[in-house]
Amino acid sequence: MQYNPTIGIETHVELKTNSKMFCRCKVVDTEEPNVSLCPTCLGLPGALPVPNKKAIEFITLLALSTNCKITKQGMFHRKNYFYPDLPKNYQISQFDLPVGINGSLKIVLNDQEAEVAIERVHMEEDTGKSTHMGTGRIDSATSTALDFNRSGVPLVEIVTKPVLKTSLEAVAYIEELRQLVLDLGISEGKLEKGNLRFDANISVANSESDVLGTKVEIKNMNSLRSLERAIDYEIERQIKALNNGEIIAQETRHWDEGKEVTKPMRSKEGSADYRYFSDPDIPNMVLDEEFVNIIKSKMPKLPYQKRLELMQTGLSIGEANILSKSNDWIVKLFHDVYSTTKNSSSTYNWITGELQGQMRKVEINELPSWFKADSLSEIINLIESNKISFSSGKVILAALLVKNVTPYDVAKEQNLFQENDSEKILQIVKNVITENSEVVVRIKNGEDKLIGFLVGLIIKSSGGSINPSIAKDLLSKELEE
Amino acid sequence: MRIENKSIREINSLFQKKEIKPSELYKQVFENTAQSESVLHAHLKLFEEDNLNKVKLSDERYIKNKSLGLLDGIPIAIKDNINLKGYETTCSSKMLSNYISPYSATVINKLDEQQVLYTGKTNLDEFAMGSSTENSAYGLTRNPWNTECVPGGSSGGSAASVAARSSIAALGSDTGGSIRQPASFCGLVGFKPTYGTVSRFGLIAFASSLDQIGPITKYVDDTRIIYHSIRGFDPKDATSVSDKPVIIPSNKTAKVGVIKELMEEGVSEDAKNEVEKIIKLLKAQGIEVIEVSLPLIKLAISIYYLIAPAECSANLARFDGVRYGLRADGKTSYEMMERTRAQGFGSEVKRRILLGTYALSAGYFDAYYGKALLARKKMIDEFNQIFKQVDYLISPTTPTQAFKAGEKTSNPLEMYMSDLCTIPANLAGLPSISIPTGLSKEKLPLGVQIISKALTDDSLLDFSEMIEKEVAFKEEPSDWIK
Repeated sequence: MQYNPTIGIETHVELKTNSKMFCRCKVVDTEEPNVSLCPTCLGLPGALPVPNKKAIEFITLLALSTNCKITKQGMFHRKNYFYPDLPKNYQISQFDLPVGINGSLKIVLNDQEAEVAIERVHMEEDTGKSTHMGTGRIDSATSTALDFNRSGVPLVEIVTKPVLKTSLEAVAYIEELRQLVLDLGISEGKLEKGNLRFDANISVANSESDVLGTKVEIKNMNSLRSLERAIDYEIERQIKALNNGEIIAQETRHWDEGKEVTKPMRSKEGSADYRYFSDPDIPNMVLDEEFVNIIKSKMPKLPYQKRLELMQTGLSIGEANILSKSNDWIVKLFHDVYSTTKNSSSTYNWITGELQGQMRKVEINELPSWFKADSLSEIINLIESNKISFSSGKVILAALLVKNVTPYDVAKEQNLFQENDSEKILQIVKNVITENSEVVVRIKNGEDKLIGFLVGLIIKSSGGSINPSIAKDLLSKELEE
Repeated sequence: MRIENKSIREINSLFQKKEIKPSELYKQVFENTAQSESVLHAHLKLFEEDNLNKVKLSDERYIKNKSLGLLDGIPIAIKDNINLKGYETTCSSKMLSNYISPYSATVINKLDEQQVLYTGKTNLDEFAMGSSTENSAYGLTRNPWNTECVPGGSSGGSAASVAARSSIAALGSDTGGSIRQPASFCGLVGFKPTYGTVSRFGLIAFASSLDQIGPITKYVDDTRIIYHSIRGFDPKDATSVSDKPVIIPSNKTAKVGVIKELMEEGVSEDAKNEVEKIIKLLKAQGIEVIEVSLPLIKLAISIYYLIAPAECSANLARFDGVRYGLRADGKTSYEMMERTRAQGFGSEVKRRILLGTYALSAGYFDAYYGKALLARKKMIDEFNQIFKQVDYLISPTTPTQAFKAGEKTSNPLEMYMSDLCTIPANLAGLPSISIPTGLSKEKLPLGVQIISKALTDDSLLDFSEMIEKEVAFKEEPSDWIK
């Protein structure tokens, strides 16, 4: 039987505000526990939450950039559950009035543009961090250490509709979302630091069925690679189970990074009742037109817009996608170089291939201050106009990365300019033929490989500056006569 | 007149004229406490020794004519659910028996600006849940007028402290009548300001949308002085308001409505008679008094006992033994949390947490909590309509005079009924005051409640002061305080 998988992704994005969501404690990035705390984020008796305006601006920016409808009267709710690292034993979150609903995000999948439907974008506060000593699990730990530095850090949760079909689509979506929050300037976007954390809801259904299968939630995927593998594994597991006549249980499963399998989590979550109700400590947020317009005016260029601009230079969507997810200086360099070369393909290849490769080789992350876009344009133009060879271009680029010189100077100094004058080249060709008459005889008798030998001699006698393809063409013609 | 019977303005004037020193008044109130405390148990902690240096500095300021305000050197008691940095805040609960607050409530910071002398932390019903101050893990408080009776609650300790002249005034908190009801039982003025005008930051929450801090005093003017000192927008409380006070033009042209539903069954003849007495007095002043009807007031207790427990079920979730307060033993984190809560909370608190948890549960939310929110909204609409016709509403503060200790402890519903008249103002966020008007046959105090439009607190105080003058209530509690 044929089965179709359906995937939905919930992503938590840690916002890079200076202070926490409901107090003025600094958001810190440190291993030292419990250094940024106050009565509010520690849930001390009598302390109250006051929403962080910057965080609300950030989430509105994200909601607008994903085409969401903005809720005019946003509301904070209390999500009630007990956990030692949740100081108030409720999390301030949003429920039926999230900041944004019904949006979409344009992604690039298999070199084509696709759109992922977004269900909601809402705001919540992060919890503290538990370290369970002994077994690593709360119900069998010998002790648990708590760090509340993260408690109250603003998070945005962005939830897709169940519309994704493959693990690759999920990865492309997260890559796009990551680029979006980076371009919006609202998050550090570092997956390895947990700035973006994602869970996947996966179901498979008979391809002839109109209804979705039973949904299984997968947690603990810490990288794009584990996202991809976990989804693939889970789809296969569910198909196998259905083929064996089993019923898929609605449950939460944990991705085991080491064993590369999903395992059911031991928890009471199936019966969780969060008893959401509006937080009486926080008045409704009014996100009126005036506020929304102010936020709109702060909207930077979005990843898909960057892609469109790049495609207008003639790049393919795949190339544009790769560039749009590169550092800002790379995108800018591309546009600057392209503006003089007007050759998007070679500009793209030189920047993404040779330039970045050589930078890695000399171990630099940024271009030297003297390196100008014009220099790269000049190299490309010299090659395009046959003034230098491609390999000479590489030599010049390497020189530019270590010292403040111009491509012209390097070419001159290292004698890299090519002789393109056919008359002059023909003279040399003729000289070489005369001086090597026995080789010419052998070529005429069928030893073709000796042509290369003669070309070598021609280039050598000119001091290396002859355009080899012209030399070869002229030599061939002379030999035929 | 003994100095501790005088109003704050009078005392301050005596301080200014150097006829008496803050240290003398301070000594006097603690002498009063020494007489009464062992019987009344109004306080959980007394700060006599802690303030000796502060008192001396206050004396010096008056000598140098550099006092910090009307409240400089005035001894004031604080309900033990308001945080005072460096001191225990127990909420009369075992849960917080060893909890020392690392910060002060905004109201305390404001009083500190005038160097108020805190006499002690007063007893309350655990987490302010109760109407008699019998639900305290540290023992009940008795009414200074008759020690067989309760002082009311939950701010019963604050009311008893002022009535026994152990302090000149006290701060309480009012969620459903917890300032006004004990003030009425103890022959005092009790004021619940407009919701949002006094910061709740540092008040240990019972029901956040209803809680409000306010004063308990002997005189309306004392209440005014304290209210003016503690009110104001607080950036640490998102529900605090920065709106300007609204003024009702004049007492003479004011129109008063008698709430019909609070003059019917369930309210004692004594209580009704007090209201009638004040109506006559107002009419004699040429003030128009009419009967008005607010039908939904009859649902107020039902609405309240869904909303307040629902909010408290979340507000009190933080008491889990993880970070502070009581911690029971347990093999796992969850076992520890469960046992801590089982051991730390008293039965009334548990009852309300369970009620609230139930009301918010999936499948019951719409039928209970959701409906209560709707009814609350409609009740507020009724108030808004009525305030188009009248400026002030009058009713009894409590259905009966102070009842005997133990009389209602076995019947929570009957206990809940004692907040019948006070709860509506909390649900609607309106300013409301109880003023003493007379004594019953049993020599127990009686009072009336006046409610006005949101933000008209100043006018409400002016109007109450006029009634206070006319009534001229001069009685004092038992003769054992001399």
